This record gives sequence, structure tokens and C-alpha cells, in this order.
Amino acid sequence: MTALQPRLASGIILLLAIWVCWISFSQIPAEAFLFPRLISVAFVILAGWTLARTFLDRRAAEGGITRELVKNFLPGVVVAGIYVFFAAKWLGFYTSSAIAFIVILSLFDPAPHNQVRTWLKRLAIAAGYLAVMYLLFSVVLKVFTPRGLFI
Amino acid sequence: MKQVLAGIALVLAALVGTVEADEYPDRPIMLMVSYGAGGATDFQARIVTMTAGNEDALGVPIAIINKPGAGGRVGWNWFATEAEADGYTLAAYNIPHFVAQSIKGGVEYSKDSFEPIANWGADPAVFIVGKDSPFSSMMDVIAWAEENPGKLTFSGAGLFVGHHIAALQIEKAAGVTMQYVPTKGGGAAAMKAVIAGDVMAGINNLSDAYRAREAGNIKILAVADIQRNEEFLPDVPTMMEEGLDVDNSSVNFRGIMVPKGTSDAIIEKLAAIVPEMFMNSRVLGKMAAGGSPVHVMNREEVLAMWEERDAYLRELLKDL
Amino acid sequence: MEFLTYFGDVFTVPAMLLLIGGTIGGLILGATPGLSPTMAVALLIPFTFQLEAVHGLILLGAAYTSTVAGGAVSAILLKIPGAPANIATTLDGYEMARRGQGARALQLAFLASLVGGLIGVALLIFLTPVLAEWALAFGPSELFWLAILGVTIIGSLGTSSVVKGLLSGCIGLWLATVGFDDILGVQRFVFHSSLSGGISIVPALIGLFAIPQVIAMFADGRSSSSIEAISVERHPLSRAFRELLSRSRAVVIGTVSGSVIGLIPGIGGQIAGLVAYDQARKVSPERDKFGTGHPEGIIAAESANNAMVGPSLVPLLTLSIPGSPTAAVLLGGLLIHGIFPGTDLFDNHPHVAWPFINSMLIGQILMCVFGLYVASLAARVALVPKSIMAPIVLGLAVFGSYSVQHSMGDVYVMAALGTMMYFLERFGFSAAPLVLGLILGPIAESNFIQGSLIAEATVGSFAYFFGGALNLLLIAIVVASVGYSLYAELRARRAGNAERGTP
Repeated sequence: MTALQPRLASGIILLLAIWVCWISFSQIPAEAFLFPRLISVAFVILAGWTLARTFLDRRAAEGGITRELVKNFLPGVVVAGIYVFFAAKWLGFYTSSAIAFIVILSLFDPAPHNQVRTWLKRLAIAAGYLAVMYLLFSVVLKVFTPRGLFI
Repeated sequence: MKQVLAGIALVLAALVGTVEADEYPDRPIMLMVSYGAGGATDFQARIVTMTAGNEDALGVPIAIINKPGAGGRVGWNWFATEAEADGYTLAAYNIPHFVAQSIKGGVEYSKDSFEPIANWGADPAVFIVGKDSPFSSMMDVIAWAEENPGKLTFSGAGLFVGHHIAALQIEKAAGVTMQYVPTKGGGAAAMKAVIAGDVMAGINNLSDAYRAREAGNIKILAVADIQRNEEFLPDVPTMMEEGLDVDNSSVNFRGIMVPKGTSDAIIEKLAAIVPEMFMNSRVLGKMAAGGSPVHVMNREEVLAMWEERDAYLRELLKDL
Repeated sequence: MEFLTYFGDVFTVPAMLLLIGGTIGGLILGATPGLSPTMAVALLIPFTFQLEAVHGLILLGAAYTSTVAGGAVSAILLKIPGAPANIATTLDGYEMARRGQGARALQLAFLASLVGGLIGVALLIFLTPVLAEWALAFGPSELFWLAILGVTIIGSLGTSSVVKGLLSGCIGLWLATVGFDDILGVQRFVFHSSLSGGISIVPALIGLFAIPQVIAMFADGRSSSSIEAISVERHPLSRAFRELLSRSRAVVIGTVSGSVIGLIPGIGGQIAGLVAYDQARKVSPERDKFGTGHPEGIIAAESANNAMVGPSLVPLLTLSIPGSPTAAVLLGGLLIHGIFPGTDLFDNHPHVAWPFINSMLIGQILMCVFGLYVASLAARVALVPKSIMAPIVLGLAVFGSYSVQHSMGDVYVMAALGTMMYFLERFGFSAAPLVLGLILGPIAESNFIQGSLIAEATVGSFAYFFGGALNLLLIAIVVASVGYSLYAELRARRAGNAERGTP
């Protein structure tokens, strides 16, 4: 594995730290940014040190993400992202949860897609899951879940 | 033809409107409290809404949702910008807190963002010292503060809340400067600072101070109200009796409001039922047991009170 | 021994029914992601309106003790800590559950909770007046140093290197400042409207621990998504007992640190588990095993967070000062029945106060019994295929983080932080120090500001923050803690270099 990824990651964190530092020292009123100033200095030093170590110490420049890993998790992450950031409010909590559940389950379930039995099983699991969630959050805890087009 | 259609539409709309108000409420209602669970506002909100499900009240339960943070700003910001004006989303207000915060700026609400429904309580601020403190009256405190300008530390529950207003009024009336120490985490943290001796004095809620005095931890020197509190603290003088020109502007009024844009029919219905709900004998019993002063006001009275506080606070906070 | 005479009030039919109901309900609520003990107790307050004072408090006491322990269930099985108290439990618990040792992990967690819990309540019974003095000794400067001490623990928590741990902690400290400044009310670092309410701890906790887990399950892909744990070990109870006895060092450290830290108003409950975990690791000869599924990690963390339950009520019951959010809610439960806690509580209302405390003793035992009963069953969660587990954890994370404050903003923050954490973990950072920073940031900041204001009016900043025996003691511990972490890392690096044969 190359050392590029850890260096890139450390670089991004350092940029974030510099941004935090810059905001802390430039915004007013100063009293409200006293504590952010304290920590942002430590933040920049530590981030700089971490970046430097990826160049100095070979073992500090390990870790990263392989192409295969991305290929595997991308479909799931995309579906989850649409569910959380978009569908949950637009369609309603329970509707979007049901759809997301079935889609993710089907994406990663190794059972063959072309059998009716597979799909019946998936639907049954999804229904059970929804029933438990409804009981727990809406009936017992009285959570007002967002309503969209549906519930 | 067009006119007929328009007429039908109008009639339908009117029907739907009345039906909505008639059927309201048909599902549970949410009451947002902008302080944490266990705080005085939360605790009282839970008591005054406990009979909401009764047939002679709203007929549906009210569930409390806490959105604490930054002296109430987080919750009220959410209420002004995101809450739905459908009558199912209510909030508790604290006067003078949210008015003072809106005058100070940096928030997205003002008194015009909300419609009051009714007021349930009024908790005056009191001036307290630890049980072993050398101070035994406001005179002692002011005399010490005059000799040691800026050295008298006293705690309160944050900036631009009732306690802070009382602090500003005391300093202005006596012409002294003292060191106000705002705490995070409401009145309980401010009380702890006094009992533990972290600060020399403090401003706190009457209800909490009454309990702390019962427990033998503090002395209460004065109450920032126009009259003495006959129910809980008949022996404690007002600030005015102590010679300080401090009125009732810091009294913490608590009540229920809805966001601007809620239909008039719903507001009227709530404004008629909610004050009755507060007067329920079980509610009054529980409030008295907890040492929480009750002060029920209807919508018109609350509207007038908001106006008056807004004008006064603009004057007081002008120089800050 | 006065409390013994009031045990009769607990063993009545209605009281026992409430105790059992409260315990089972508390375990379920505690295991629900997003539902902290504070919220669980607040939810039960309306029920107590209908009950007699003593019964209402028995219900609340039982629920408090069992929700704290119930949090261990989701922490171990799903890697979702139900509350800050359970963070340390996830570190080793989830690793054990993954290897099919969920039953063992849960049994140890409940037994350790029982031991810690009983000792904690015993302290409450016997030492309350002494402990109250100690709780008040912590003013703003001491709390500030205590928070800093917590931050220095960060470096050694679950990461490969101290620097990366401290950097994660810094990210957490920074995240804690996002949103409204708590005292001045100024908005800081709000670059998206979802952040205007700040980053609440519980949604952040769910996101940082659960979401990387979900993505990791996705990353295994469709082909390998068959059953992960080949088999779930059965684990006889007697072996769990023996194991707990043989690891008594972790029990002692957990219980002692939990009781001491639980006392301190405003900070205790949230970090007791993490501090105990860190201490147990530092003195253990098997310290390298921590974080890889080592039973001592679970034992220390769980005994600590139940040991803190009793002492956390000391400031409330003696001084009427709620030392934790949960204690604040319990205060409400007392007040509606007209009971004012204070030094004379046990003289004025012995018929309420003693049964309440006794019910917490019985509650600990019931909690342990029910917990052990479901442990082997619950451990079978590890057999659920990943294709089902991933969407379940995702759904629980979404519902759980929403239900805390009914806020979609919290859900977005949860998901965004969680995704970020997945990538950070790939580069050797870890979630525990980040969360510790997030929890301690506001405590450090507000006490720093209060302390500065007081110092300005009185003795000056240096004398205020560096004066007094307790301050100096805390500073010494901070220095020792940092020094030890650096020394341990240097030694480990030297050992690593020697193995590789390179300088």
C-alpha cells in the first residue's frame, strides 16, 4: 500500500485545523472564541506532527482504502445516503425505512434474486423489522416521526 | 360557471377550516421545552400538561420534547424556523429570557415570531448567599461591593436570562459594579456554586432557593419582585424594601406558545382550554408540593406583558 | 443500619411488581440506541404522578439502575453505546461478541455491574455525609483540571499511537464548540443550518460508533456476507462467576474509580467508564489485549458505570444539588410528592428515602438476574447475517438519533460524523478519544470561563488555577498520565524497531 493515502488524509486534517485556527483568531467577539483558540493551536500542532510522521516513520504511513473495498461498500453507502439525507423527510420515516431496508438487504443478501422464496423471506424480515421499530419508537416512546408524502 | 366553481371552492374551504378546528386536536401534541430534562421549566411543564388527556381539557396527551442549549436559544431558534404551525407543535416560553436574547441579537426569533397561548407560572429571582456568609442583608452586600468594586462574585444561570436581568438591575440601582458569573446548566449549577462557596453570592429561582433554604444550605436576602412572596417566603423583603429600585422585570414567566402562522381557530381553541387546564386542582396541588409559584394569565394578558417587557428590556440593554 | 428496618416496605406486592416492571422496562429502554438513562427516567415521571411517593421513587430507582446496565447490551452486541457511560464497554465487548463470545461478555458485564452497583449504593447508605463534603470540593478550577485529565487519558484510548489519539481528541474538542456558545450565545463554526443547534452527544455517539460498523459490513460485499461468527459459544454461569473472581483487579479498579468519579457533580457519570477502563489497562500485565476483546475491559467499564449510580445521588440527597442530568430528573420525582431533599431528608421522610435506596439495592440484583437470563439468548444476535444486520443497525441509528430531540439535523450530523469516522478509522484514528473530547470540551470550556471570571475579581488567574492542594494534585496526575503515555509509546516503538532490526 502506498503512503499517499495517509499523507492525503493527514493533509486534509491539517487544512481543517488551520481553518479552525484561522476562524478562532479572526472572528469576534473574542471572548466567545477564547477556548477555540486554545484548542485550535493544539489541533494544528498535532495535525502537523501527524503529517510529518507519515514522511519520517514508515509505519505511521499505513492504512487506507483499496479499490475493492470501495466497490463493495459504495452501493450500500449510496442507498443509505439517499435514505438518510433525502428520503426520510420526503417520504416519511417508516416508508423510507422500509424501502431502504429491503434495498440494502437485497444488495447484500447472497440468496439468488430470481426465486420467489427469497423475496418472500426478505419481505417478511422487513415487515417484522418495521413492526418492532413502530412498537418501540411510536407506541412505547411516543416519538413523533417526520411525516412526508406517507408516514 | 367560473363564479359557481369559485363559490363552491370558497364554501368547501370554509367547511374544511371549521372542521379542522372542530376536530382539533385528534392526535398527541408535542410541547418543546428549550431546557434540559429535570430543570425547573421542564419539571413544571410536565406537571401543568399532565391532565391534557382529560375529556374536559384537550382530550389528547401532550408529550414533552427537550431541546436544550445556549440558555434556550437552540430550542427557540428551532421553534421559530422549523416547527410546523399546525397546532400540534407547542413550546414553553420563558420571559424575559427569549425577549432579552432577541434584543441582544444573534438569534432568528423575536417576540413577533410566536403567539402566546397562556401563562402558568411566575418565578421571581432572589438574591442568595451561603449559610455561613457574613452578609445578612442587601445593605451588607452593597456596602461591601462599594468598598471593593468589581470584586464581589455572584452566580446566575447564564447571560440574558432572568437572573442576569436582575443582576443588571441591582448593579444599576445601587450604582456598584460586581462580577456576575454565568454558569452553564441552569439554576442548579448556579446554586451549587453558592453552596460550595465558589462564589460569594448568587441569584436564583425563588422555588429552588426556597428548597435550598429549607435544607439549611443558604440564606435568602431579597426577592426581585414588587410584593413579598406570601406563600413561600413571607419573611424575605423585596429589593425595594431594601432600598434598591428593582422592579419585577426579572420575574421568570413561564407559559405555552405556538409559532406564528398557526390558524386563528386553533389559537382561540387553545387559548380557551389551556388556562382552565392549568387551574385543574390536581395540577395546582402538585405545583404547590414542588414549591413552584403558579400565576395563570390568559392570552390577552400575556400579549400585554410581552409588549411591556420588550419595551423595558430594550431600554435596559441599550448600553450593553 | 437504619436502612434494614425499611426493607419491609420494598417487599410488598405493589412495590415488588413496580420493581420488576421498572427493571425489565429499564433494561429494554437502556438497550435502545439513543435512549439515555436520563430520558428513560424522564419518560417514567408521568407514571409516578399516579403513584404514592414511595412507589413512584421505587419505580424511578429501579429504572435508573437497570437502564445504565441495559446500555451494555447494545454496546456489546451492536457496537452502539446507548449512553456515554457505555462507550468503554463497546471497545472490548463488541470484539468478544464478534468472536461468538457474546454470552460471556454479557454475563461478565451484568455481574460486574452488580458488584459495582451494590458497592456504590452501599457507599450512598453509609458514607453520605462524608462524601457530600468531597463532592463540594470541586469548584470551577478543579473541574477544569479534571476535564483536562480526561483529555490526557484520550491519548491512550484504543489508538495505535498517542499522537493520533490526541489528535482525535482535538477533533472532538473542536466539534464540541460547534453551535451556540453556551454562555455568551454566539454562533461558532456553523457552516450548515443543521449545526446551529450544536452537536448533541448522543446522536454523535451513535453515528461515530454504529455507522463505521455499518459501512464495514457493506465493505465485506455480497459474496462473503454469510454468517460471520461460526458458532455462538454457550457459556455456563458458573464460569462467568469464576472468571469475575479471577479478574478481581479489574473489578476493584472499576468500582473504586466509578464511585469516586460518580460523586463529582456535573462530570462523573459520563466519563466514569472510560476512566476506569484506562486505569485498568495501565496496571494490567495484559495491557496489549485491551481493545481486542479482553474481558477485563468490560469488567472495569461496567463495574464503574454502575458503581457511579449510588454516589451520583449523594449531592442530590444531602444538598439538593442534582449532580447529574438523571439526578435532576429524580429530583423532579421527589418534588411532585412534596419531598425536599436536604441534610434532614432521612429524618423527615425516612419512609420514602430508605425504601428508595433499598429498592436500588434490590433493583441491582433483579437487573443482574434478568440480564443473565437473556444474555445467552441475546448473544445469538451475532448469528444474524450481515445483510440483515447492516440495515437494522442503520435504521436503529436513524430512529435513535432522531428520537433524542426530534431533530432531523441530529440525524444528518449523526450520518455525516459516522461516515467521516469510517475513513478516519482506516488511518488508525479511533472513535473513543474523539467522543471523550466531545463530552469534556463543554465541561472544560465553561469551567475555564467561570474560573477566569472569578479569578479576575479575586486572586488572579494563576493563583486561582494553580493554587490549592486539590488543583496541584490533579495537575500532578495530568503530568504523570501524559508522561506515562509517552513513555509507553517510546518503549513500544523501541521494541518494535528492535524486532525489525532497524534503528
